[in-house]
Amino acid sequence: MIEVKHLTKRYGRRTAVDDVSFTVEDGCIYGLLGPNGAGKSTTMNIMTGFLSATEGEVRIDGHDIAEEPLEAKACIGYLPEQPPLYQDMTVEEYLLFVAELKRVRKKGDRRVAVNKACRRTGLVGMEKRLIRNLSKGYRQRVGIAAALLGAPRIIILDEPTVGLDPAQMIEIRALIHDLGRTHTVILSSHILSEVQTVCDRVLIIAGGKLVAQGTPEELAGKLAARGIISVTAQGTREAVLAAASGVEGLSDLRVTAEKSGEVSFTAVSTTGKDLRGALSLALAQAGCPVLSMNAGSMSLEDVFLQLTEHTGAPEQKEEA
Amino acid sequence: MAAIFKRETRAYYTGMIGYVTAAVSLFFLGLYFSNRNLMNASSDFASVLYTITMILLFLVPAISMRSFAEDRRNKTDQLLLTSPVSIPAIVLGKFLAEFVVFAAPMAAAAVMPLILTAFGSVSLLSAYSALFAYLLLGAACLAIGTWISALTENQIIAYLATFGALLVTYLMNGIQTMFTSGSVLALIAFLSVLVIASVLTGVLCKSLTAACAMFCGGSAALIVLFVIRPTWLLAAFDSVLSALELFSPFNGIVGGMFSLTAIVYYLSVIALFLFLTGQTIERRRWA
Repeated sequence: MIEVKHLTKRYGRRTAVDDVSFTVEDGCIYGLLGPNGAGKSTTMNIMTGFLSATEGEVRIDGHDIAEEPLEAKACIGYLPEQPPLYQDMTVEEYLLFVAELKRVRKKGDRRVAVNKACRRTGLVGMEKRLIRNLSKGYRQRVGIAAALLGAPRIIILDEPTVGLDPAQMIEIRALIHDLGRTHTVILSSHILSEVQTVCDRVLIIAGGKLVAQGTPEELAGKLAARGIISVTAQGTREAVLAAASGVEGLSDLRVTAEKSGEVSFTAVSTTGKDLRGALSLALAQAGCPVLSMNAGSMSLEDVFLQLTEHTGAPEQKEEA
Repeated sequence: MAAIFKRETRAYYTGMIGYVTAAVSLFFLGLYFSNRNLMNASSDFASVLYTITMILLFLVPAISMRSFAEDRRNKTDQLLLTSPVSIPAIVLGKFLAEFVVFAAPMAAAAVMPLILTAFGSVSLLSAYSALFAYLLLGAACLAIGTWISALTENQIIAYLATFGALLVTYLMNGIQTMFTSGSVLALIAFLSVLVIASVLTGVLCKSLTAACAMFCGGSAALIVLFVIRPTWLLAAFDSVLSALELFSPFNGIVGGMFSLTAIVYYLSVIALFLFLTGQTIERRRWA
């Protein structure tokens, strides 16, 4: 379990992370979502002890990262935005080195751990290759394999799919999904669909602040209880709009198209109730037969944009 | 620590630096050993080591430049600093690897006095104490270079800065004689050091007042000292310059004055600069 309390990081006058608090429960995949420069990397770098916080505290399984750094770091496997690979080593040499660094004491144990990590991340057969010569996707796998060594309970991945081609992205996502069964995983991303498909819980960060958290469904639901109805009805614009505006709880009428006696418009149900029945009745009574009607709720994408738009222009990407 | 030490040592010999260091060391060692000891039939092995200290100036920066600068550039420092390894262990692991690369070729130097014993009586004590002092001197130079490497992510800058720093200590004996005339010069020198220290404090603490306060207080104290006790200032300045003479304790040992002070001096230099290296890395986390 990770507890982050009132985390703040200032670089000179610029505040990269601003009073962020959240708790990560065991056994879930968490997604840290936000536009570039929102403070995701900084937050992760503080959680893993690479940077220190200006204010606030981070506890990893009860160990404060500032007070007991070694114990806290032993619980975490971290893949930074740019995998920290030694180019002049082979995959096997590198992973054996990382295993020793992560306090896997016995040589035999290190071999077993490395073999296991290689199998898990699909690196079998690549062990003797120089890291320098690997493709971006394989380097990412080596980075994830390194994060798995030392049997940490928590895996933190900073933008694990950036720069990969679509096939590699799907593979890495599948791998993360698989990791989620045995580890607590926290990943950051600025790609919404990725977080939506992979993560159990989402934390949205914008401008250094935590603006929302919950399951993808909750976020889409809670923050956008406002259902959108799009309607096409027969009749004049005035008659249709007059009838629709008579329905209680319906607002934000917007005409989207108008042609030869047909009017298409959208309306928003502010109360969250399904108003399709009431609306179609009102239109029928006004002598405007309904030709089509669709209800849809806002996607996570809309929510994301709505939340991150108002927190100011994205700042410059912080240095990792 | 062991993991970092092993990886770093292997990295020196995966690349060229380990072999170039060995080649250069052995070349100069062999050259002067043949010339001094074998061809001129001298039993004084310490003087060979005295002659080759100059190679430290360009060899040590080549070994130490990559230690932290490369890690930072490749972002592999993120791996080390987020692993359950303490910063002193990282610094020590890297430093020991540098020392091994520097010291390994000197194994040949350990054999050379024994070869000489075949031809006559040789003072093994003086030869081996000189070798021991040479290794300590090299280690002290490496510690300075390691610290400079931790200050930058550019290896070339690390090389040049280390080379410059070592050159100044190498020439310090001559530089010192320039400053023996008059305490005004000592005052000016101390004041300029104070200016640099104040500016650094101001930049690091991001506070103009702190820098100004430090400079005003420091310069007032210096001027008062200058008016009341000018000789103190001169003596202090002289001893500061002496402390910067990294090579002279070694030269003393070569000259037959084996002293514990020299050993303690080198061990202190090593400890100080490794400590500074650790602090530099720790500080960067707070930047």
